Amino acid sequence: MNVIQRIDSWAQRDPQRVAYNYLGKENTYLELKNYSDSVAAAITNMDLPDKAPIIVYGGQEFEMIAVFLGIVKTGHAYIPIDSDSPSERLVTINRIAQPVACIAVEELPVELAGLPVVTPAKLKQLFSERVSFSAANQVKGSDVFYIIFTSGTTGVPKGVQISAQNLESFLAWMESDFGIKDESTFLSQPPYSFDLSVMDLYPALTRGGTLSVIPKKVTEDFRQLFSVLPQLKLNVWVSTPSFMDICLLEKSFDEEHYPQLQHFLFCGEELTHKTAQQLLQRFPHAAIYNTYGPTETTVAVTQVQITADLLAKYERLPIGKPKADTKVVVVDENLQEVAAGTAGEILIYGPSVSQGYLNNPAKTKQAFVKFNEQNAYRTGDLGEFDEAGQLLYKGRLDFQVKLHGFRIELEEVDYHLGKVGLVEQAACVPKYGMDHKVSQLVAFVVAKHNEFKNNLELTKAIKEQLATLSMPYMIPQRFVYVDSLPLTTNGKVDRKHLFSEVNH
Amino acid sequence: MKEKVIEILEDLTGSSDLADNLDINLFDEGLLDSMATVQLLLELQSQCGVEVPVSEFERSEWDTPNKIIAKVESM
Repeated sequence: MNVIQRIDSWAQRDPQRVAYNYLGKENTYLELKNYSDSVAAAITNMDLPDKAPIIVYGGQEFEMIAVFLGIVKTGHAYIPIDSDSPSERLVTINRIAQPVACIAVEELPVELAGLPVVTPAKLKQLFSERVSFSAANQVKGSDVFYIIFTSGTTGVPKGVQISAQNLESFLAWMESDFGIKDESTFLSQPPYSFDLSVMDLYPALTRGGTLSVIPKKVTEDFRQLFSVLPQLKLNVWVSTPSFMDICLLEKSFDEEHYPQLQHFLFCGEELTHKTAQQLLQRFPHAAIYNTYGPTETTVAVTQVQITADLLAKYERLPIGKPKADTKVVVVDENLQEVAAGTAGEILIYGPSVSQGYLNNPAKTKQAFVKFNEQNAYRTGDLGEFDEAGQLLYKGRLDFQVKLHGFRIELEEVDYHLGKVGLVEQAACVPKYGMDHKVSQLVAFVVAKHNEFKNNLELTKAIKEQLATLSMPYMIPQRFVYVDSLPLTTNGKVDRKHLFSEVNH
Repeated sequence: MKEKVIEILEDLTGSSDLADNLDINLFDEGLLDSMATVQLLLELQSQCGVEVPVSEFERSEWDTPNKIIAKVESM
């Protein structure tokens, strides 16, 4: 059975089993099947070009996942766009992806010219109908299953295409390597436009599990967060290490108060020794895993279990060993493999590697190369294998950073800053904390002449304009106003110089 | 204690104007977000010895430098 069939099969085996729990609002596997069949039938009636992508706009409500499933049942790929996104980003993604329709789970903030839209009202009506749908044309093999947009260096995001077989490879690994049982309750915390969400969504649904959602507004309100968390009866925790840092602030977040919680999976950014050690102290009997992988290779491809021995051996935690069907090699600039103990670029090949960026042959050609006759992805990450075969992460070859798990190209932040009317010129750099992790983005700005009383007001105005242009997580936390930006000898902004000003 | 809190806040937000703007709303102004709040609570713990029970953390009670100073001084 493929992913779609496996999820549907739970509607037959155990129709009243809870698939989704959104702050107490529960939806069953039967509802998931009925809703997704209704969406699939409606899409089929729209008579759209085969396999072309469809945008899904919304937050973390149950309807989102029903729509995703409905779309792949018709052979189309879905593009999740979070309702947190500014209109500008929707317009940009619409232009790049050239989708054939948009399903708006939440009201669209902007009109997407010429695009057929299924409105929230229409969707509600669809969900109230019961239709039978036979998924004869569902997504399979190399057909694209989902497309997730990530930050791009030219200010234009890139759509990573993940096929059905990429996803199957990822799911097989999730099932074989982590000891997670069927019918487990998973934390569902990241937004669907962030591929970390795939680490809870499909592993849970294909195995009869329940997704317990913590929406963004709850994560940001600590009082509410810690009143909701104990009620979820979680078995499997999937999040960024940053979100765990919030939870560890609460003293009662431990094995005694969360006895069902037995698995922790981290991805999206570096798991620090400190966070891992604290967590293992709180949950001494839990299986805690650090994982690593870029969106382009389907969520993650390496894993390592965090044990007391591992913590004792490594000051900076390794990112693990590759999954069985995948090869991870460390190469030099000529794509020649280097020996263990030597640092180089991490290159990944195997069945979970994407076929490339949607409608972007130039970027695809740069990042996806042939290696040993196979489609390989150049991560731009620096790594090194140690004598135990563990992959160690050593940083980036370019200006990409991870901030609380979000992947950000500094050039994209600069690009958006440059579009703000109050800004003459700007460049941003990451400020690192003590733990090799980015704690803030710092923008150096040459401001245009303005009438603001002080820099606080100017910063507020710039941030407000930025919010209409870029994702919230790409807005720098700190603004420094300067008369001019330092330049390198060939006239480019000297980012290294700025970097050294904020990192001593 | 007041100076210490302002110092922590200025370091976290990168703004050197806070001492003159003690009633500014740090969240509305985009100077603090939830991850910066985590940092703030950890700094208050290590530098001021104040343990804030996070499960009782109400953002509206912590949204200006003056409110934060008052909270810390009351603990």
